[in-house]
Parts: sequence; C-alpha cells; structure tokens
Amino acid sequence: MRKLKLPALISIIGLMGSVVFTLYGILGTSQPTESTVRLTTDPPLSQLVPFEAEALTNRPPVRLTLQAVDATGQPLQNARIHLRILTPRSNPWFTTDFPIVEGTELLDLEALAPQGELQIQQTLPIRGTYQLWVQVSPVVANQFNPIQKTLTFSVSENWVKYQNLGLLAAILLVVGLGGGWVIGGPQETQPGEIAPQRVRLLLSGATIVAIAALLAVNLSAEIAQSHLSMPMSHMAKHEPKFSNSGVVQSQGLELRLSGDVRATVGTEASLQAEVINLKTGQPEPGVVFDLQATQLEKDWIAFAATLPAAKGQLAWKQEFFDGAPHSVEITVFPQPGIGRQFTPFQVAREIEVEGVAPPIQRRLIVLAYFTSFVILGLWLGLRLRSWRTSSIRLG
Amino acid sequence: MTASSPNATRQQVGRWALSLPVQATMYVTLCALVLWTIYFTTYPPIHDQVHSLRHHTLMVSCH
Repeated sequence: MRKLKLPALISIIGLMGSVVFTLYGILGTSQPTESTVRLTTDPPLSQLVPFEAEALTNRPPVRLTLQAVDATGQPLQNARIHLRILTPRSNPWFTTDFPIVEGTELLDLEALAPQGELQIQQTLPIRGTYQLWVQVSPVVANQFNPIQKTLTFSVSENWVKYQNLGLLAAILLVVGLGGGWVIGGPQETQPGEIAPQRVRLLLSGATIVAIAALLAVNLSAEIAQSHLSMPMSHMAKHEPKFSNSGVVQSQGLELRLSGDVRATVGTEASLQAEVINLKTGQPEPGVVFDLQATQLEKDWIAFAATLPAAKGQLAWKQEFFDGAPHSVEITVFPQPGIGRQFTPFQVAREIEVEGVAPPIQRRLIVLAYFTSFVILGLWLGLRLRSWRTSSIRLG
Repeated sequence: MTASSPNATRQQVGRWALSLPVQATMYVTLCALVLWTIYFTTYPPIHDQVHSLRHHTLMVSCH
C-alpha cells in the first residue's frame, strides 16, 4: 500500500505542476509583455464601410483612437505619436471607385499625446485593408522605450454596389440574349415580312454610324483628358468661400494656416498651423488646434482632429481623395492652466483639389468583364434560336 | 456580263454585312461602346449625369 502511495503522490504533484504551468502560460499570454498600441474605432470595426460618394445623407467620418499602453496596460504619459495611414493595396483586376487613392498615404501626422492617446476622425475612401503605421516616443528622453507598430483593419464594401453589379449583369445577359435571338433568326425575307435586305442594310449602316459617333465622342474625351487632369463637374469654377489669406489676428495673437493651396488626388498636401505672439514674434506655447477638412460641394468631413501643440506649431500631410474644393478650418484654443488664456478663434483656407481620371487600362478591364456578359447572353440567344429552329424543322 | 458584276458584288457585300459573325460583332461593339459611354467615359456632360450610378456600381472606377 505504501509502495503505491509514493508514485501516486509524485503523479499528483506533477499533474498540479503542469496545470499551474499551463494556467500561467494562458494568463501570461493574455497580458501584454511589453508596451503596445491599441486601436479602437467608432463605429466598431465590423461596421466600417467606405465613403459613399453621392450619398443621400453624409455619414460622419470614422473615429480612430490610438492608445499607447505599457506592459501593465497603463497609458503611457507624455508621449509623442507619429501616425501614417496607408490605403489598401492596388488591384487592377478588382478596382475601387477611387483607383488613384489605392496604395497611397492618406495621412501623415505627428502630435503630442499627454495621456498616450491620439484620436482623429478620418473618412475612409475605399474598401480593403488599411495600414496604420504608428510610432510612439517619449517627449522626455528615456521615459519609456519607443514603440513602433503597424496596425491593420479592414473595411467591407458597400453592399449596394454588389446589388447594382448583379442587376447590371442580369440586364446585360438579357440584352445579349435578345440580340442573339434576333441575329440568329432566318435572314431570308419571309412572306409577309416588311423588312427587305435594303432596310436591314440601312439599319446596319445606322449601327455603324452610331458606333463611329460614340467612338468619336469617347476618343475626343480621352484625348482632352490627357491634357487636363479631370475636366469634370468637380472642377467647375466657383467663388472661394474664404479670403484664403490663411492669417487671422486676435487678442495679440496671429493664427497662420500655410502650405499647399492646390492638391491632387493621389498625393498628399502639406499643411502647417502656427500661432504667433504678436508682441514677441515667437510661437505661442501651450495651445490646442482643432482641425477640420471639409469637402465643400457636398459638405462632408474628410478629416478632423483636436491636437495639443506645446510649441504653438503643428505640421501634417493629408491626401484629399475627392477631386473637389475642400476647406481646412483651424480653431485655436488655450490649454487650460498652461500659458496665456484667450478666447478661441479660427482661420480657414480653401484647397483646390484636382481629380485624376482612372487609368484607361483599369476601365478597359472592367469593360471587358461587362461585355463578356453581353457575349455570354448573345451565345445563349444564338443557341436557343438554333435549337428552336431545328426543333421546328424536325416537328 | 459587265452590267451584272456590280450587282453581284453588291449582293456579295450585302450578304457579308448581314452574315451572323458581322451582325454579332456589330451588336457586341455597339453594346460595349454604350457601356463605355455610361460607365467609363471622361466626357464631362455624360460623367456628371451618371456620376452617382458609377460610384454605386462595383468595380466601376470614377476618379
């Protein structure tokens, strides 16, 4: 009996040891072992949809919150966060409605994060997987080890686009089927028919003229396009909404918004904001900038953020993905209890954004997809007519 | 003989124009051009009219 007890005891201890080891492993991996960056979105990731151009109601931009935390999950204080947002990769075989934006940088921003948190609002132009390149570094050297992470999240396509493609495919199949049925019919003039060969030839001639006219219109548009980026409604001339000087003075301070006043879709515009103390001529420390970029034609917000600027200066790069005029508005606030207190005031500037036509190869690829539905329908129509003709003859 | 030759040529051209491959090609070409005009042309008046349709159809790139 005693002989049996010792091995049993050893087995129990061994079993308990392995359970404790396993539990430690599970619990250990659930806690961050080093500083990291957490991403949260509003709406939640599963509900993200890309920007819907020509929508009946404007959807607010997505709120992206980055929180830098240490190994124990506590926020990293007095951090500086550098964020770059990269759009989904380009795929010419399955293009989006903003192909020029694919595989580009949407935002490049570096800001102070006293509580280790950076929050921005960004309209996401297309479906796919976005990359957020984040670098967190301490304002005071050696306060914590810098972190560099690349976070990703995916945005699903708007289901309406799938629905409309399905509808279009069905229409094209029916068009092809009808054409095949008619073209595959008997070509000889039957007794009672009123369309002799001359009329058929005339109709064919009219078709050729229509083809030539459409070719001429479309080719001339493409040739004009090669000289001008995007001669469309977005480029229509309009009166600027603001004075566009980008300088406003108030309460002994001067708020300046400088940088690019013209931008092109696919490339970033560089912008800078600065508050100058008119007495000293130096940047005013301890301020907060509230930024907002708005598309002026449809009045939707492309980007917004509230960022502290300890030295009264802020610089960022952003891509305006819609080829239409935008406004950039900056309101400056004093940081409570820090530096000089003043009433918030605002400066605004208009940015002309030049659209770029999608590459012709991409449009030709999708045209080939669409035309293949017509060809499929045509083939089915011809087969159907042939089958019917042979069954009538046999009958 | 010389009087019937142009007539025969005309008939031959007519038969060729009304043949199934030519008619099918013309039909597909016309459909493709109509599709291009609606979904892909950069011609401003057309683009503006169908702008919403383009942005709401999968795989149609607008700008």
